[in-house]
Amino acid sequence: MPKCTINGKEIEVKDGTTIIEAMHHHDMHIAHYCWHPGLSVAGVCRLCMIEIEGMPRVQIACNTVVTEGMKINNTSQKVKEAVKWGLDFHLINHPLDCPICDQAGECGLQEQYMEYGKYDPEMAEKKVKKHKVVDLGPTVVLDSERCILCSRCVRFTTEVSKSNELGIFNRGDRSEIGTFEEKPLNNKYSLNTVDICPVGALTSKDFRFRQRVWYLKDAETVCNGCSTGCKVQTFFNKEGLFRVKPVYDKEVNGYWMCDDGRDLYKFVNREHRYLKASHREGSGWTQVIPGAAAKEAAAAVTAAGDKLALVLTGQYTVEEYEKIVSIFSKDLKTKKIYHWLNNKETVNSFDGLLIRGDKNPNTKGLLQTLQKHNISTAWSELESGLASGAIKTVVVAGPENHAFFKDIEEKVQLFNKAGTVIWLQAAKNPALEKLSGNAWIIPMKSYVEKDGTFINHAGQHRKFKRVTTVVSESLTLGEAAELLAGHQIMVKPESNLLVEADRQADKVTVEHRKKNEFVFKRGAL
Amino acid sequence: MEMKLLTEHYHKDEFRRLDGYKKFGGYEVLKKALKMQPQQIIDEVKASGLRGRGGAGFPTGTKWGFLPKNNEPRYLLCNADEGEPGTYKDRLMMERAPHQLIEGMIIAGHATCSKKGYIYIRGEYNYIILIVEHALEEAYKAGLLGKNILGSGIDFDLDVYAGAGAYICGEETGMISSLEGKKGQPKLKPPFPAVQGYLRKPTIVNNVETLAAVVPILRDGAPAYKKIGTEKSPGTKLFSLSGNVVRPGNYEVPLGFPMKDLIYKLGGGLRPGRRLKAVIPGGSSAPVITAAEAESATLDYECLAQMGTMLGSGAVIAIDDSQCMVDMLAVLTHFYHHESCGQCTPCREGTGWLNKVVHSIVEGRGRLQDIDLLVKVADNMKGRTICALSDAAALPVLSFVTKFRDEFEFYVREGRSKVKGVSHAQVHH
Repeated sequence: MPKCTINGKEIEVKDGTTIIEAMHHHDMHIAHYCWHPGLSVAGVCRLCMIEIEGMPRVQIACNTVVTEGMKINNTSQKVKEAVKWGLDFHLINHPLDCPICDQAGECGLQEQYMEYGKYDPEMAEKKVKKHKVVDLGPTVVLDSERCILCSRCVRFTTEVSKSNELGIFNRGDRSEIGTFEEKPLNNKYSLNTVDICPVGALTSKDFRFRQRVWYLKDAETVCNGCSTGCKVQTFFNKEGLFRVKPVYDKEVNGYWMCDDGRDLYKFVNREHRYLKASHREGSGWTQVIPGAAAKEAAAAVTAAGDKLALVLTGQYTVEEYEKIVSIFSKDLKTKKIYHWLNNKETVNSFDGLLIRGDKNPNTKGLLQTLQKHNISTAWSELESGLASGAIKTVVVAGPENHAFFKDIEEKVQLFNKAGTVIWLQAAKNPALEKLSGNAWIIPMKSYVEKDGTFINHAGQHRKFKRVTTVVSESLTLGEAAELLAGHQIMVKPESNLLVEADRQADKVTVEHRKKNEFVFKRGAL
Repeated sequence: MEMKLLTEHYHKDEFRRLDGYKKFGGYEVLKKALKMQPQQIIDEVKASGLRGRGGAGFPTGTKWGFLPKNNEPRYLLCNADEGEPGTYKDRLMMERAPHQLIEGMIIAGHATCSKKGYIYIRGEYNYIILIVEHALEEAYKAGLLGKNILGSGIDFDLDVYAGAGAYICGEETGMISSLEGKKGQPKLKPPFPAVQGYLRKPTIVNNVETLAAVVPILRDGAPAYKKIGTEKSPGTKLFSLSGNVVRPGNYEVPLGFPMKDLIYKLGGGLRPGRRLKAVIPGGSSAPVITAAEAESATLDYECLAQMGTMLGSGAVIAIDDSQCMVDMLAVLTHFYHHESCGQCTPCREGTGWLNKVVHSIVEGRGRLQDIDLLVKVADNMKGRTICALSDAAALPVLSFVTKFRDEFEFYVREGRSKVKGVSHAQVHH
């Protein structure tokens, strides 16, 4: 365990720790582009300059291992001068198109320039021309002129995704990132390259040109895309959510997340959500306020007696399961609570990095809750119950992320047999229009609108906090359970921070956005 | 005068073939070496004081001693990617005496306990590749390579690998990357090749001349070799003399040989009526020295280091007063800009910047502050990168600009060369 002094502060580090790692662990600031804690050391940006006592030249912190008694500083004039020049070399051929660059506001070059730069440029020659708008694959676009060739993306595809799509072609200042012939950047983790790109060279086709980052707020939550439960950061404003990025979590996802998880903000936005509850009587649907709809439906639920069944999917929080299962089993006295498993075949598959076959974030939480309440039922019992008429009322806690529930339509047909269906659902699904008989669709809150816990595949409790409110009148599963059981609760329409429900302005934006859909559509430039 | 330790028989055609090489005592030293312990050979080479002839001048025996003491497979690589502008000694050595190199490599392979060696030859030396391959074939047939060499129980295999024309592959870790089948880019050090090199195994990389010099060292013994040359630079060295001299060529002289004798006596001096202006003493990467400095310079590591330049690969380029230093620098900056691998930012961007600034001067668009800018940029490229290419690009700029500043200032002010009277553009277009 060598001890060293960095900027006058004595610290002790593990054997083999490099200086930049030591500084990173102790939250000391050091300029760097090519070094990334999740990747190997490249040592090419030459920005993490440090001065070590007894060494005549400045050294790079990323490839220098701490030794006993080392005296390091990165605040001296010599270091600042070296970093300033390192930055200047990065910038001489950089197009400086910040006003039209998506990275502006979160760009490594801007950050370091404000700290070490602020000089009058001396470069009077013409800049190197390189390729702009290079289509690397279905998710990522490259601007070679902005690229500083830190090689993070190349190392990511070699070391993490192990798909080896990217390489640096050509030599010297003609070098460019590129893909090999007939082999585009197309893997399940490709958008991580955009996250680790310190400049605006790699941009996500999904996010580019949609928002300036300084108009976005961010908050952490847990991805609900699969049973891994990656820690993520969502970026949103009053128009809704715009993107999802991974947050470092040592035990679960490291520095990465999959591309599927980044799409999960989409069904959360207003245009994809049920804003009002719908009630079907006879032939047509009528729109009702969600809380009122739940109260109305309560009559059918409490009257059902032992002909009541509850169907749960693994997409709600442990707290919600606890509430709904205890209300249904204790107050409504039914043990007919079933687990709707969407993908039996792939449920245990795993791609070796992050993606798991179980596309529900909280299957384990659901199973644990059911076990706690001594409920063990089989899906076949539900089917036979519906066929025989032993079940007349079904309450369904539908999947909010229904992309992986291919069998929704089939299930709608199945539940229609009951006669009365109360479907609790956050995201719109056309299959639900096929509900017949006495049916309610009650809007639920999505995972970004509530606090809670998911239990992931490994049994880790993934707690998360509310990010924002998108549909303020929607209910949590717990609230819905209370209301359906006939309990009186106050559903406070949560003080929506930014939008009142159905504000005219929002509709205009949605319309406007639809017009420009060709720009936002993934896969198109 | 010349001292032909290595090049004694180079003028004889038969020396290129195995039988001819054997006639002049070839492979006798190998027989002696195979009976020695590896450590004995390393000690002998250490005692001889032999320094690497590729450019850096690192003591060879010490380098061999860096190998970890374990049973990991290790490799011996011969760096024959002779790319330094002005250097052409390895070409001569492989062309005239391929077996000398092979013998040296087998001995070095035995000393470093490697079972496999590669000779990395630059792609442009196509006919040399054929010569060396033919020599390897002869050696294999005669049982000098392969399993159980000459009944000694020692195995050593040797192969030729052709480079594809990149200056950077002459840098030892760049060469290792290239040999591994990757893009020829230098690797971060540490780990050094002696610990983790080719295929992440301990690797020794030596220049052609270094490996060949092992033969006379073991033949005559270290004390005899050490008597030649100076105390800190023992032995002989081949110098590739080029530039404005009457008789350019390779000359083998003991280290410490006066530079003026090499140029005026061996090289036949300059053309009539010309005066010496400057000398690049060790390949294009070495800082240039003025004629006055060349007068007192001796060809050894210490003297040239004292003058702020280096012996490098031993390419002495004589420049007479008909040459324009600004035009010459434009050629050099173009070369380094073209050859930078593009890995480290200061070198990738800096070489391009220097090239553009120098070219704007020779095209008549220069500004006076550009001369200081060249110094500033070059200063900040020095020692900031993984390999020495950045230094190699910066040092000529620094020395040209500081020692011949008047020519640069004249070029900027008048838009034409002080020496030639016309601009670069007028000459070349």
